[in-house]
Amino acid sequence: MPDAVTIEKLTKKFGDFTAVDQISLTVGEGEVFGFLGANGAGKTTAIRMLCGLLLPTSGNGTVGGFDIYRDNEKIKKSIGYMSQKFSLYGDLTAYENLWFYGSVYQLKKKVIKDRINQLSEELGLKEFLHRQAEKLPLGWRQRLALAASVLHRPKILFLDEPTGGVDPIFRRRFWEMLYELADKGTTLFVTTHYMDEAEYCHRISIMHHGRIIELGNPSDLIQKYQQPNLEELFVQLISNRSREAADV
Amino acid sequence: MLQTILALMKKEFYQVIRDRNMLGLIFLMPMIQLLVLGYAINTDVKKIQTAVYDFDRSSLSREYIKAKTAGDYFIISSDNPPVLDAERGFKENRYSAALIIPNDFSEKFIEKKPVDVGLLLDGSNANSASITSGYAEMIAMQFNRRQLDIPEPIVMRQQMLFNPESESVYFMVPGIVAVLITMITAILTSMAIVREREIGTLEQLMVTPITVPALIAGKTIPFAILGFLEMSIALLFGVLWFGIPFAGSWTLLYGLTFIYLFTTLGVGLFISTISKTQQQAMFYAWFFSIFAILTSGFFSPIANMPEMVQHLTYLNPLRYYMIIVRGIMMKGASVDALYPEIIAMVIFGIIIFTSSWLRYSKRVS
Ligand SMILES: Nc1ncnc2c1ncn2[C@@H]1O[C@H](COP(=O)(O)OP(=O)(O)OP(=O)(O)O)[C@@H](O)[C@H]1O
Ligand SMILES: [Mg+2]
Repeated sequence: MPDAVTIEKLTKKFGDFTAVDQISLTVGEGEVFGFLGANGAGKTTAIRMLCGLLLPTSGNGTVGGFDIYRDNEKIKKSIGYMSQKFSLYGDLTAYENLWFYGSVYQLKKKVIKDRINQLSEELGLKEFLHRQAEKLPLGWRQRLALAASVLHRPKILFLDEPTGGVDPIFRRRFWEMLYELADKGTTLFVTTHYMDEAEYCHRISIMHHGRIIELGNPSDLIQKYQQPNLEELFVQLISNRSREAADV
Repeated sequence: MLQTILALMKKEFYQVIRDRNMLGLIFLMPMIQLLVLGYAINTDVKKIQTAVYDFDRSSLSREYIKAKTAGDYFIISSDNPPVLDAERGFKENRYSAALIIPNDFSEKFIEKKPVDVGLLLDGSNANSASITSGYAEMIAMQFNRRQLDIPEPIVMRQQMLFNPESESVYFMVPGIVAVLITMITAILTSMAIVREREIGTLEQLMVTPITVPALIAGKTIPFAILGFLEMSIALLFGVLWFGIPFAGSWTLLYGLTFIYLFTTLGVGLFISTISKTQQQAMFYAWFFSIFAILTSGFFSPIANMPEMVQHLTYLNPLRYYMIIVRGIMMKGASVDALYPEIIAMVIFGIIIFTSSWLRYSKRVS
């Protein structure tokens, strides 16, 4: 299976502060990869480097087989990015937002129309299409953001806390939609703070202070550390690390 | 590319239309500026409130006073202080001139002896004081001539070209048009980009395959169009409301405005690369506008400025555009008359726009 994302010793420093510290991992095509870590671990920073928004300090990486330094523009054609912060135009309607992103990706008018129809059907957005984006309830806004990031059918989708602040029913439905995308072959690179969501992932990595401290299949990891569930595993790993750091 | 630019433009227009503050800024600003500046900044000196102290009280002195007030220039103020206390009247702004006729006025005049007539002026507005004294002198000379039949060796016949009634509004309105277009395009462009950075949509755009030229075109063309709209509103208002004549070619004015817009849009782009917040962008854009307006010759002629400031004005693109707008509107100037300004403007446009553009490309990566 060819790799959708490869990262080798990727590092980002902001002045003296190292936000991402020599992380390495690979994500296979069609995989659902959970990129976990506490607040401030460096997840968003790593994703921003992969999407070409931030220049790495050192290390290498490829996305969709393209080098993150040299082939920035090619990467942009094959990825979708749903940022942690809602970043669609609040004063435009849902429909206008989707139409705008479709045009920016230079899709044909007919294609945009068909995909908006199809997506709003699948995501249950139909009745909200002509409302201003900022007036949508949070859950619908997240669905809209998802729709906008997949309108151009990206091969790899980066989702930075796509379900932050959303209720459990919405989250369940959202993950069903993500799974449908994965079934169609989209690679998903997802960050989340919800461990029940992490269990849906094929593989996860756990980040702490800029480093990846554990990586693997969720159930393998639970067995390895003999924890009842991912939540306990996560808490234990992070607090162990913090204690070690305090002892040193 | 074209599709992307059109999508950006459409989006920008939707946003402007839905933003009440923005709409107000765009449509009320030209009206208010025209009304306020067109009326309030009246550099014409007319209807000078004058206190008259006639100590002679002869028929001749009354005739002299009548001659003084015959035109539109001097108006006799009715409530003069009982004593000669002009300073107070000036301070209270009740009048700005005082005419003093001595008690031997008619006696000496008839004997053809020199007679002194006093004129006290409020010099706090130096410009209008000197114009007032000019009027007074002219009226005194006419009075002499008429009463004494003095032969006149030199007769000066003046005629003003281009603005025969010396209406300051004819001069102000073209200036306001130039100022408006500068402010609107620089402020709106810089704020629109910074707003996208603030709310995070710029980042979202940066992960799309959008190219820098398309982004810049999509972000500047809508404001260029708004600038033209603004200018047309101001011009129509000037022509219909103030009745200002338009001597030159509309096509030339719009064509040269197009060139000028590269500078102001370039400045807007530049500001957007150095501002983190919309307030910051607004502040820089105002600062630029004020500097540009003050050194453009909009309020006072550049020739009256200190020499160092005069040199500085050559760095101000609005200086050239101001000459162009006034030249075309008031004098019907054509390209041959304006080519030094046009060349300066083209050079400025290219330098400012491309350098901001290059800064932009760097920041994207
Ligand atoms: N542009 C920047 N300049 C300086 N420091 C930054 C910058 N961006 C991020 N950081 C710092 O880098 C660290 C990692 O931030 P990052 O946003 O990547 O964390 P995160 O794992 O996404 O956290 P969260 O779960 O809260 O989203 C934080 O301490 C943050 O303050
Ligand atoms: Mg984050």
